[in-house]
Amino acid sequence: MKKETLKKTMIRKIKILLILMLVVYGAMADSTQFTMEGPNVIAVGEQFRLSFTLNESGSDLQLPDLSNFDVLMGPSTSQSSNFQMINGKTTQSMSFSYIFVLRAKKEGKFTIRPASIKANGKTYESNSLDIQVVKGQAPQSNAGGQQNNQQQQEEAPTGNISKDNLFVRLALDKTNVWKGEQILATVKLYISQNIPLNGFDDVKLPTYEGFWTKEIEVPQQVNFTREVYNGKIYQVGILKKTILFPQQVGTIRISPFEITCLVRQRVRQQQGFFDDFFDNYRVVKAKVVSDPIAVISKDLPNQPANFSGAVGNFSFSGALDKSNVKSNEAVTLKLTVNGSGNLGLINAPKIDLPQDFEAYEPKTTDHTAASDKGLSGSVTFEYLFIPRYAGSFTIPPVEFVYFNPNTHQYETRSTETFKINVQKGSDDQNASVVNSYSKEDVKMIGKDIRFIKKNDPKFITKGSSFYASFGFYSIYFLSLIAFAVIFVVNRKKIKESANLALVRNKRANKVALKRLKEASGFMKNNQAEQFYESVIKALWGYLSDKLSIPVADLNRERASMTLFDRGIDQKTVTELVKIIDDCEFARYAPAAFSGTMNEVYDGAAKVMGIFEKQIK
Amino acid sequence: MKRLLYTILAILITSIVFAQSDLMQKGNDFYSKDQFKQAIDVYNQILMTNVESPELYFNLGNAYYKSKQYTQAILNFERAKLLSPDDEDINFNLQIANQHVVDSIQELPGIFIVRWWNSLINSQTTDTWAVISIITFLLFLTLTGFYFFSRTGDIRRISFWAACLLITFSLFSWSFAAKQKSRLVGHNYAIVIQPTVTIKSSPSEKGTNLFVIHEGLKVRITDKLDGWLEVRLSDGNKGWLPTESIERI
Repeated sequence: MKKETLKKTMIRKIKILLILMLVVYGAMADSTQFTMEGPNVIAVGEQFRLSFTLNESGSDLQLPDLSNFDVLMGPSTSQSSNFQMINGKTTQSMSFSYIFVLRAKKEGKFTIRPASIKANGKTYESNSLDIQVVKGQAPQSNAGGQQNNQQQQEEAPTGNISKDNLFVRLALDKTNVWKGEQILATVKLYISQNIPLNGFDDVKLPTYEGFWTKEIEVPQQVNFTREVYNGKIYQVGILKKTILFPQQVGTIRISPFEITCLVRQRVRQQQGFFDDFFDNYRVVKAKVVSDPIAVISKDLPNQPANFSGAVGNFSFSGALDKSNVKSNEAVTLKLTVNGSGNLGLINAPKIDLPQDFEAYEPKTTDHTAASDKGLSGSVTFEYLFIPRYAGSFTIPPVEFVYFNPNTHQYETRSTETFKINVQKGSDDQNASVVNSYSKEDVKMIGKDIRFIKKNDPKFITKGSSFYASFGFYSIYFLSLIAFAVIFVVNRKKIKESANLALVRNKRANKVALKRLKEASGFMKNNQAEQFYESVIKALWGYLSDKLSIPVADLNRERASMTLFDRGIDQKTVTELVKIIDDCEFARYAPAAFSGTMNEVYDGAAKVMGIFEKQIK
Repeated sequence: MKRLLYTILAILITSIVFAQSDLMQKGNDFYSKDQFKQAIDVYNQILMTNVESPELYFNLGNAYYKSKQYTQAILNFERAKLLSPDDEDINFNLQIANQHVVDSIQELPGIFIVRWWNSLINSQTTDTWAVISIITFLLFLTLTGFYFFSRTGDIRRISFWAACLLITFSLFSWSFAAKQKSRLVGHNYAIVIQPTVTIKSSPSEKGTNLFVIHEGLKVRITDKLDGWLEVRLSDGNKGWLPTESIERI
């Protein structure tokens, strides 16, 4: 009873374990690889190996159609396993190989379709394989080598190996290119299949003069692959791969280069008995020289001013590390050129920074990798600049112009516009500087003529001027005439009024005497009122005539002022004023008047007498 | 009948003037759009109608400068300066354009009083001097009137001396106007328009080569003899050159 339950639990445990293992296997199933390997090129009648490799143990190998080949042997299986323990972690890898030996039956290009195999209940398919079968090679003759052996006494004589069997070639993927366009140059060594190569003695690889070069890494150990060249199968080793960028215009010659190979050769000498039985080998030097080759490099069509020198296919981007900064803080503008072409020869694009920015030389870094597809990667230009003053600034889009050899055209890539907002920095180091308020001269950035005048001009006929014109002279003439007329008229008027004054002056005494006579009549009749009136009239009238002042404008002050001007002394003037006062008192306030008519009359006559003498 | 004729004439003249300011506007527009070749054409079109103005020459000079024809630019700036001698913009642009002239001529300093006198004369245009002359003359007449008709001794004395001063001033202004006018009409200055000109000692090809001057240089014409002109440089050197190698300002 107890045993049974124990057994049951055991079975259950095993089941769980199995399920778990299956799950793990299922998870690992993706790493299962099944590959088919074979040579690329073979000759008719040649035997070759076709191997299938699986890193699991598999079963039920389904071969593809191999009717174009004779299966000579197989499958022979082999197995290898590999344990690795790294840092306590154990990994195990296994490989199972099925090897067939086949022979090609006829010429042509054949594709061996994928084989399939079952492993862990799943079916895996291998890759397919292209095999080129060429005409059968003539059996290798070593005769040439044998005949000359007698003459060669040196320890390493130069082998005489025909050029068909051993040569070097510089393969270029194109020979007609634009200046700066990349060319893939491969140095290939071709050796006939049945010549064993021992090594190289002197390798002079081409120096590509007139080119900027970039090496592509090739394995140190030369790997030989089979390749058909001129209908013959060769073992081909790639010695060097280089990307060339022509730097000159015109035909650039790549001078021939030479390689001395050490080839093992069998010598058959009839000196010894054993020689017939044992092949005697020796190593000979075979010097091979390549053919010269020329590349035609065309100059780029008319270059735009902002051409960066880049030839290839690129993308371009740019970014500011920060757009909000404080003054005196560094900002970096990073421009990246990405793509394939002459990346090392690109000039840094020009950027238009605002004038107040302090800019430094751009820093260039490149991450490039040379491969069969050409030199590709990215070049980064870092522009460091420091805004010194606060404000909003704009950096216009940066343009990158390159030549695309595929489209034969210049292409322009540009970034977007960059905006930088600079705030006033508050850093203490600069505070002391700011305190002194250092003034700056206005920087003259450029010199140019001033802008045109936009105001509406006053056009005049060429050579004409107001000076010496009719108008000019007529103004002089007319003003002179006007002056003359005014002068003459004025003179006349003055003369006339002077005459009138003279007449009145002359007449004054007469009129006054007449009035005084009239007054004396009144005096005799004792008509006081009339007497004083005629005396005062006589006086005023006399003064008016004598001084050329209208009666209406005449009063005591004016009269005395004018009389003073005319040189009459103070006493006479006072007397005149007294007489006038007396007359007026006598007329309007007779009671207050104490004098007599006689006194007044005499006084008036006396004053007028003085005036008559003194006023001309 | 006569009145009608005058009306028609007046309308014609104003319409020409309007056309000119329209063209001026057009030229300025071309200039603003950096189409300097077209601007030059339009400005020259205005000059063809036998009118001129300092602004026109200035703008034309600018357009020539911008299309890198510095000699023509200098010529037109000089013409503008002739019409408006004290314009700061014209002098500035002329100075800039003169930097493209190859020859560097050391100007003779001259006597200070003569220089001062010439700069006084050049400070105003012909017409400004003419107007100054007229105004001072009218003032002179007024003061003469005061002198004759005033009875007060002080006024008469003052007006007499002032009138004397004014008539002197008026006469000088007149002579300045005449001098400016002769500069304007005489075209005694010229700009070298051929790239290089060899100055000869006499008015013939056989004359000794004295020195070589280049285009853009300003020279004064002092004499002429069939197809040859005698010119004087500002450093005082003199010689003969063919008429077609220079253009009068």
